[in-house]
Amino acid sequence: MAKEIWVFSEKPALLAELIANALQLAKADGASVAAVVVGNQQVIDQAFAQGAQKVYALGEKAADVLLDDFIPTIISLTKSKTPALIIIGATRQGKAVAGRLSAALDASTITDAKYFNQDSGGIEVTHLIFGGGAIRIEKANTATVVMTQGSSIVDALPPNASAKGEVESVPFVQPAWKATLVERKQKPPASVNLAVAKKIVCVGRGIAKKEDLSMAFDLAGILEGEVAATRPLTEGLDWLPRERYIGVSGATVKPDLYLSMGVSGQAQHTVGITDSRVIVAIDKDKEAPIFPQADYCIVGDLYQVVPALITALKARK
Amino acid sequence: MNIIVCYKLIPDSEDMVIKPDGSISLDQAEQVISEYDLLAVEAGLQLVEKNGGKLMALSVGTDKLLNSKSKKDILSRGPDELYLVTDASLANADTSQTAKTLVAAIKKMGDCDLVLFGEGSGDLYFQQVGLQVGELLGLPTFNAISKIDVADGKLTVERSLEDEIDVYSISLPAALAVTTDINVPRLPSMKEILKASKKPVVEWSLQDLTITGDGKPRVDVLAVRAPKSADRKRIKIEGSPEDVAQTLIGYLSKEGVL
Ligand SMILES: Cc1cc2nc3c(=O)[nH]c(=O)nc-3n(C[C@H](O)[C@H](O)[C@H](O)COP(=O)(O)OP(=O)(O)OC[C@H]3O[C@@H](n4cnc5c(N)ncnc54)[C@H](O)[C@@H]3O)c2cc1C
Repeated sequence: MAKEIWVFSEKPALLAELIANALQLAKADGASVAAVVVGNQQVIDQAFAQGAQKVYALGEKAADVLLDDFIPTIISLTKSKTPALIIIGATRQGKAVAGRLSAALDASTITDAKYFNQDSGGIEVTHLIFGGGAIRIEKANTATVVMTQGSSIVDALPPNASAKGEVESVPFVQPAWKATLVERKQKPPASVNLAVAKKIVCVGRGIAKKEDLSMAFDLAGILEGEVAATRPLTEGLDWLPRERYIGVSGATVKPDLYLSMGVSGQAQHTVGITDSRVIVAIDKDKEAPIFPQADYCIVGDLYQVVPALITALKARK
Repeated sequence: MNIIVCYKLIPDSEDMVIKPDGSISLDQAEQVISEYDLLAVEAGLQLVEKNGGKLMALSVGTDKLLNSKSKKDILSRGPDELYLVTDASLANADTSQTAKTLVAAIKKMGDCDLVLFGEGSGDLYFQQVGLQVGELLGLPTFNAISKIDVADGKLTVERSLEDEIDVYSISLPAALAVTTDINVPRLPSMKEILKASKKPVVEWSLQDLTITGDGKPRVDVLAVRAPKSADRKRIKIEGSPEDVAQTLIGYLSKEGVL
């Protein structure tokens, strides 16, 4: 069998990005790209439109069936075909698929892989460790390499609705165990997409009370930007929803302006802001690690600087 | 119910030294329990407090685990017993080596109803070991678990996915990795700290276990280095809050970002 690179994600937008990356990698050695699809004809057509050359169709998922119930099928398919590489969308469910699959294959998944670099001996990828404090270059040595890829690592290709390819139906493998779905609660839709924000006002633990967040929202309002936060304000303090935190386990942003107040600048946070064009930091500790990573450094009490800034910006308008 | 909670000892990243050539050194770093695992310990403790049974902590790694301070640290957080598997070859173990070693230890430990894991380790953060262990043991296995209840020999768990929260009923035994917000771990009390040194500790070497496979890593590490930091202007703005505000606005309009 010709060499194949597989992609799998339950999120259509992410699947399109995985296909784009797989096509890029496949170019180097003439491999073909196949999508492993749980879903109906529409999902299969989408995979072709995004560039997949083949689809392994695992069938539709009934509402009360878990994606996890398909893992034994994915395992048996992978074992029988031995693709060179399988790239899985780095969602929580995707990571469950990757973990269980790699155990069954006696492999080890490289999660959240970045900067895929193909050479003759395989694919080298970058993986952040210590919450972004360091970088590891890794290469798996197994017959099938398993990786997960997050969103916005590679851009999806423009869809070509008329593209078609081979569909191979894969029989369902009954799992040895099943969980019963008791209830499914939709989370409220995300109110903000930080990844596309042009201006970001980021608050950290330097904010003493939840009410004081209004200052950040006022400033963001004048700048026509969004409010973001460090993780402790969203997980733990619960002052802001989780979709507003930036960092290794949160959002990666690339605004024209990122302005922080009371953010110390730990690597786990700043790994998410390195692509910002201009970085302004306000912190009362002159030794705060945020300052060497900023363009404009203001050592001072945010409770004095931010109101003055709001007043001055208002006066300007 | 008998619960095993797996934890990892990791170098404290605050002690990471970046050398002039961009490589990093952790030789002097203090060893700490990975933060995420503390939530798994707390989750196990709460289940045992409510339903009875015992909580056993398990870790595999190098002989740094045998340090009395770190043994005391984990035991003061609630586990009744501690199991440690140490070998020099586990220093840079990949997830598959770690998972296979944990599986062998869990089998040797005997009957257990639930194996708990943190979301991922604070150093490598692959978020994989719990899932691999569960699969190798053939147990119902899930990650992203944000709530756990036990009744009538079954688990009811909440799983926090990107767009939804699923509630599952799962049979025991099972393997679960918990989220970073499942609970807020309590701090060890003086009483627990004093009790810690009297709790049983079982120490095994790899030879004491039956581990499958060739013991080789599946992922090779080619390089480790500090991320390149972008060159930033680092312009200090000083003065009264009003002056600072004016100066900043001046700079930002010159940058064209206002
Ligand atoms: C594995 C792992 C993953 C993580 N992932 C993330 C992540 O994705 N995102 C993230 O953000 N964090 C993450 N963290 C946490 C991270 O390490 C830091 O703890 C966190 O970013 C610090 O948040 P902070 O800057 O708001 O708080 P602190 O570090 O407490 O900083 C507060 C700052 O406010 C300043 N300050 C206080 N009062 C004032 C005042 N009146 N005026 C001006 N300045 C003031 C202080 O000088 C200080 O510099 C992670 C941690 C781990 C271990």
